[in-house]
Amino acid sequence: MASRKKSPPATPDGQGLSPSSSHPFDQLYRDHVDVMYRFAYRLCGEAEAAKDLVQETFLNAYRAYDRFRGDARVSTWLYAIASHACQRMRRKRKGEPERELSLTEFVPTSEGEFALQIPMEGLSPQEALENKELRQILDRAIAKLPRKYRMVLVLRDMEGLSAKEVGNILGLTERAIKSRLHRARLFVRKELSGKGLAEEFHRDVATVDR
Amino acid sequence: MADRVRTYPGTRKPTPHQGHRKRNCVKVLERLSAYLDDELSGEICQEIRAHLGDCPNCEIFLDSLRQTVRLCQHRPSPALSEKDRAALRRQILKAAATV
Repeated sequence: MASRKKSPPATPDGQGLSPSSSHPFDQLYRDHVDVMYRFAYRLCGEAEAAKDLVQETFLNAYRAYDRFRGDARVSTWLYAIASHACQRMRRKRKGEPERELSLTEFVPTSEGEFALQIPMEGLSPQEALENKELRQILDRAIAKLPRKYRMVLVLRDMEGLSAKEVGNILGLTERAIKSRLHRARLFVRKELSGKGLAEEFHRDVATVDR
Repeated sequence: MADRVRTYPGTRKPTPHQGHRKRNCVKVLERLSAYLDDELSGEICQEIRAHLGDCPNCEIFLDSLRQTVRLCQHRPSPALSEKDRAALRRQILKAAATV
């Protein structure tokens, strides 16, 4: 099917968007692409999917620019576009059944599950994260989170937004955000305190050392 | 008269979840994120601190949750290269020009 050219949308300053370097879109892109890529990478867990999401986000922002009323911060508006785009993109793909996380599943049932089974003793989080295996274990735990919980954890704990901002982005109450965040944190904690994790960690380190 | 020493049945070596009901642990567990994020009233914080002082496992659990949050907060994320940034911009503008 042949595609047709679309006129650039009007912008609040009365100009249409075009690829010229002085255009508002370029400023929007320049100012926010790094933050959006970081967000997308954290949601998707890999570079190509993150680039697809960034492209989709800015394309939607480009098309909706004339409807942006400026009553939210531009970054909040972009986060909201990216979050919706992520949900749509994932819906197109099959798999990853969404499940509800219940608090009772995070109550430890044996002695070994209270502490994390990863080496953090005496280290700052930054120092601990210099360890590649630890980064991988953390990333895997976050990737295993059902999407709606991962979205909240990423926005709140990784992007550093307030519960109110996250609520505005996802169209949920602060109470719902806090509830999802708590379950998401407990899920990741449980993954990092798993019985097999210490063995897995030491096996991986031994493999790397060899 | 010698001081009477009160003894309590079962006060041997402290073990987890002794001296209080386990459901208190669950009640505390439900509020640990709010506790870490400083969202609770002083009274509830005090109750939680009292419980933590009594229950070593809940104290360890809280530490592990705090460490988890800090790891998430400090997990670095890769940056987009200059080349990818320019390529993405071109693709977006190209896609925007077509329907």
